[in-house]
Amino acid sequence: MNRKFRIAAIVALAAFGYAGVAAAGNPAQGREKSKPCAACHGDTGMSSAADFPRLAGQHADYLERALREYKSGVRKNPVMAGQVTSLTPADMADLAAFYASQQGLTTRR
Amino acid sequence: MSIRAIRIAAAVAFVALAPGALAQPQGNADAGSKKASMCQGCHGVEGYRIAYPAVYAVPRLGGQHPQYIVAALQAYKRGERPYATMRSIAASLSDQDMADLAAYYGQGAQRSAMAK
Repeated sequence: MNRKFRIAAIVALAAFGYAGVAAAGNPAQGREKSKPCAACHGDTGMSSAADFPRLAGQHADYLERALREYKSGVRKNPVMAGQVTSLTPADMADLAAFYASQQGLTTRR
Repeated sequence: MSIRAIRIAAAVAFVALAPGALAQPQGNADAGSKKASMCQGCHGVEGYRIAYPAVYAVPRLGGQHPQYIVAALQAYKRGERPYATMRSIAASLSDQDMADLAAYYGQGAQRSAMAK
């Protein structure tokens, strides 16, 4: 391993560590795990019921953080609090990756 | 005033006021676009990430259900969501502001996604 590569690797590691980025989720795994979510959020995360947010096309790291916040209780919603109790960090990352990979929400400019 | 008259007056008042108390203001997307300047600094920049308390992307709002956007803003206002910046912004918004902003951001889902 040459010196430049080593430095680049250290910088990359530091950057990821700072960002608090968990291991990237697997969208295919997330699709399998999303079956219970579909009842409210729709098959691809494009919910048709106005009470339930659309998730399709949302940023993965935002979705993952929201799930973690529901689980820790700092984000309060009785329905989601019940849903996240059994989710592992890997489940959350997979679900987030799946919904982020779908078409739907956009950045409104 | 007889008991009967009071009862009737109470019933009339209840019928007249109850729907008004429950009704949410109607949102206007044009009005929302004029109120969105403070939102767009973050939500209008594709891939924009906040740096504190952690680094993560601010959510995409284009095409979200307006009713859900209002519910989210109300939850911030009540302190049921943790992000401090959005708490203070939501606290500064009236119900009409929320409805207008929600109507504005509710537009803009990808067409291909809407067909599904």
